[in-house]
Amino acid sequence: MSKKGMWSLKLTTASLVLIPAAVAINFIGKSFAGVLKLPLWLDAIGTVLASMLAGPIIGALCGAINNIIYGLTMDPISFVYAITSVAIGLAVGIMAYNGWVSSLWKAFFVGIVVALVSAVVSTPINIGFWKGQTGNIWGDALYAILIAHKNPVWLSSFLDEFVVDLPDKIATVMISYGIFKGLPKKLTVLYSNDNKTETL
Amino acid sequence: MNSMSLYQPRQSLIHRIDPISKIFYILAAVAVPFILPTVTVAVICLLVSAVILLLAKVFRKVIPLVGFSMVILLSVVVIQGLFMAENKIPLFRLGPLIFYQEGLSFALGLSLRVLNIISAFAILVLTTKPSDLIESLVRKGLSPKIGYVLSSVLQIIPQMTATMGTIMDAQRSRGMETEGKLAVRLKAFFPLIGPVVMNSLINTRERAMALEVRGFNSPVPKTFLNQEFKSAYSKIIQWTLILIIIMALVWRILGWLK
Repeated sequence: MSKKGMWSLKLTTASLVLIPAAVAINFIGKSFAGVLKLPLWLDAIGTVLASMLAGPIIGALCGAINNIIYGLTMDPISFVYAITSVAIGLAVGIMAYNGWVSSLWKAFFVGIVVALVSAVVSTPINIGFWKGQTGNIWGDALYAILIAHKNPVWLSSFLDEFVVDLPDKIATVMISYGIFKGLPKKLTVLYSNDNKTETL
Repeated sequence: MNSMSLYQPRQSLIHRIDPISKIFYILAAVAVPFILPTVTVAVICLLVSAVILLLAKVFRKVIPLVGFSMVILLSVVVIQGLFMAENKIPLFRLGPLIFYQEGLSFALGLSLRVLNIISAFAILVLTTKPSDLIESLVRKGLSPKIGYVLSSVLQIIPQMTATMGTIMDAQRSRGMETEGKLAVRLKAFFPLIGPVVMNSLINTRERAMALEVRGFNSPVPKTFLNQEFKSAYSKIIQWTLILIIIMALVWRILGWLK
């Protein structure tokens, strides 16, 4: 049997079933963050975890379906931000496949990369929909200050999004890393698609 | 087992229209104001959507959907009204703050666009059962596996939110602090999310096996339990909407050529 590459589109049943679980984890993460009144969104833990477990394609699918479901059941504007979730899934999946999820410090770095990716992909959408604002008080306050000082919209919008995303995504990736490391081999082996026979 | 959705069961003309036509409507409602970006067109589209929502007797249910975006729209009005780069003509003053015409009219256009999109989606979401929507999409060619994934998300989330309260109480009774300084609350996040994640991932193993045993992976084309909902009106509605988009394009091009 050949080793399936990172971009193999052959989705196993186990990987597909991971998606609803990941979307539910996203949802629950967001709810707990709300209940505990944490200043973070923590609404991508499931997507990041799925990417670490099953690779970039499943991670991207998780992100897309997450936003589709949010769009159908809560807030239609979420549909458009599916692109951001897909980008996050891809980014984490690619880095995880290349061994970047092996220590807490590497996870910290992946968090920074994810925050960058998320900000870069979201900024055009933010500009198109809200002229660069994001709906987050601190981010928009920064945006207002930057705009008032005649900074270009794209820069103000990018910083608005990035300043909010950085702590959130770093926390998300590090939490997902912690969970990933704590999962029993029985589960992680279900999703790994390198067709290696596991030995003790 | 209740599935998570905004569907409002009603007896109305709109409820009897098939989901694909409603998706076409969303396309038209988004494309036409984009092709002809005037306030008049945006208001007309909004009124059409409002009439459809009234016909479907779900008008009141749009308010929570709009509410999500209301806060951000308000902040856009305020911030763009005050600080937008192209602001030149002041409109009115509120103490030391000057609101400019350009910013406010831009924010108005933006708000109309967002409200348009939300109303068009609301028509789909409030009058279509999610299972019907997914079934129509699968009939049109969406992979039944993805159709399954979408359906199961809608069922899993209410199940998990039900266990949320139980887990919080269980951990609290074991001495977990959920109030206090940020560090304390942050620490509380882990014992809450841990059991939830473990539970759902362990369940996926069982679920994957159950699906395999029922032929989930089989390449044989699947048959449908329900009869297909065919209506002569579907084709008419869809073609009319496409025609409207084309007419808008023609209008715009004619405008350029003048």
